[in-house]
Amino acid sequence: MILVPVTYRGGIYRHSEVMDLIEDIGGYIVQKHVIAQEVVLLCFVPQDDIEILRRMAKPLGGEVTDSPLVGTEIAIVIPSLEIHHLPHPACDIAEYVRRLGAKSNMVGLARGVGKRIAALNDEERDVINEHDIAVYVLGNFEKCIEHKMPILRRGIDVPIVLCGAPTKEALQRIVDPPVDGYVGNVGRFMHRTKESDELAKLDEIISEITRVLEKKRVEIANDPLSVAPARLMDLINENVPKIHEVTSPTPLTVQMSGLRVKLPYDVFAGDIRKIEIEDNITIGNVAQVTPSRMRDYILLKILPFSETNVVV
Amino acid sequence: MQAVEYFEVECPEPLGAEYYKQITNDVLLDHNLIRTIQKLHIYVDPGVPIFVAVGVLKKISSMVRVQDFAAVNPLEGKIMLVLANETYLAPMLKIFWTRFGQEHVEQADRFTVILRSVAIGAKEVEDIVVADPSESIYKDMIYAFKCIAPEGFRIRRERYFKDKFFFVSSEDTLAGDVDALLKSKFEMMGETMP
Repeated sequence: MILVPVTYRGGIYRHSEVMDLIEDIGGYIVQKHVIAQEVVLLCFVPQDDIEILRRMAKPLGGEVTDSPLVGTEIAIVIPSLEIHHLPHPACDIAEYVRRLGAKSNMVGLARGVGKRIAALNDEERDVINEHDIAVYVLGNFEKCIEHKMPILRRGIDVPIVLCGAPTKEALQRIVDPPVDGYVGNVGRFMHRTKESDELAKLDEIISEITRVLEKKRVEIANDPLSVAPARLMDLINENVPKIHEVTSPTPLTVQMSGLRVKLPYDVFAGDIRKIEIEDNITIGNVAQVTPSRMRDYILLKILPFSETNVVV
Repeated sequence: MQAVEYFEVECPEPLGAEYYKQITNDVLLDHNLIRTIQKLHIYVDPGVPIFVAVGVLKKISSMVRVQDFAAVNPLEGKIMLVLANETYLAPMLKIFWTRFGQEHVEQADRFTVILRSVAIGAKEVEDIVVADPSESIYKDMIYAFKCIAPEGFRIRRERYFKDKFFFVSSEDTLAGDVDALLKSKFEMMGETMP
């Protein structure tokens, strides 16, 4: 069964029926937002059954759209959390990817500024590596990007999309070895992105992220995961009642090949490992349950079929 | 930057210069400083690395007087001031206390101040200078250029003369020939370095 990431937008009236349908056809709701009279459901739905959902949504005035970023966690990496990079453009990009269903985290480096002094420490490296993709939002000068990029990408093994003021061609020329995606003409600026050409640039960033993630999805499909991350999310929701007391907007953050559980590792890791998925197969059998470098959270990395010989 | 007579950004990378022009424009607009600048020349070279801003300011002649933000009403044995906003309330009270003594100054509420048994008339109260905006302009300007300059350029030198200023910053120790560089940038604007 192939699960496809989609977004349902509709009125609050009878939206529980839509939620029931998604669960009945074997889908998973990753996030639910209720904004005034509108409901937004970020979910995974079986590819063959999308039409059923669309048919049901129509009389309710709802809309089902493809959202390739649902179920991904994206790191927006910026040289610092200073006024030079905040709130524009870093927040604008982070907010834009959120609107399309991704969970974005801003990673402001402790010593990412300047040319000579720029550095990446081990904690920052590990935090970035816990994400599905890293979007580097750098500055306005070719010379600086050329000099800094090898330092700021050291030890990063997730795909990188690089944004900077030089043109895409210039970025491709100066970054060696190449990164996975480039978006030119998005450097440091001090105003909100509201003009049509600026919004088009944000769209370009999204399409570049989507392209890179699609490549990663194909790689995962070649050696499928032992269990879908969204299914683990459902299981933890059912079996760990404490997760409902977490005040974070996404207590369980679904990633492409894992899950971030926002509960303390020392207290809950053992219980999570023991949760049975089916036929005596536990989460500990099909996933690595490790401490996250982000606070004291738990990080689940789902093992591929080639390592476990099971798909549940 | 239409209000500015001369505004240039010089950089070995043309695209970088374009971006810095936009950043300067945005920051100066946000800080309400655009009207105080007559000429501005910015030089950025990430290769050195160095950021230089030299400029000429317009004359700020207007002092803030009591009449600019308060209505002064003479009454029998007292003068009542009704304030339109609180921005200059604290410096005004300080001046009144020093000049008339605290026992003659009464603040009825946030927007009302009463002067009792003072020896001057309402017209003279209206003309009392409360603040000089040109005093803080230097601080505001330096703060704005700290935002404009590339991040990480923490070594800096700035001077403010009567109507001219310069701001230099870098990531490394500033070289000895910075003065010559500043002089040449002032000359590019058709000005001499003070």
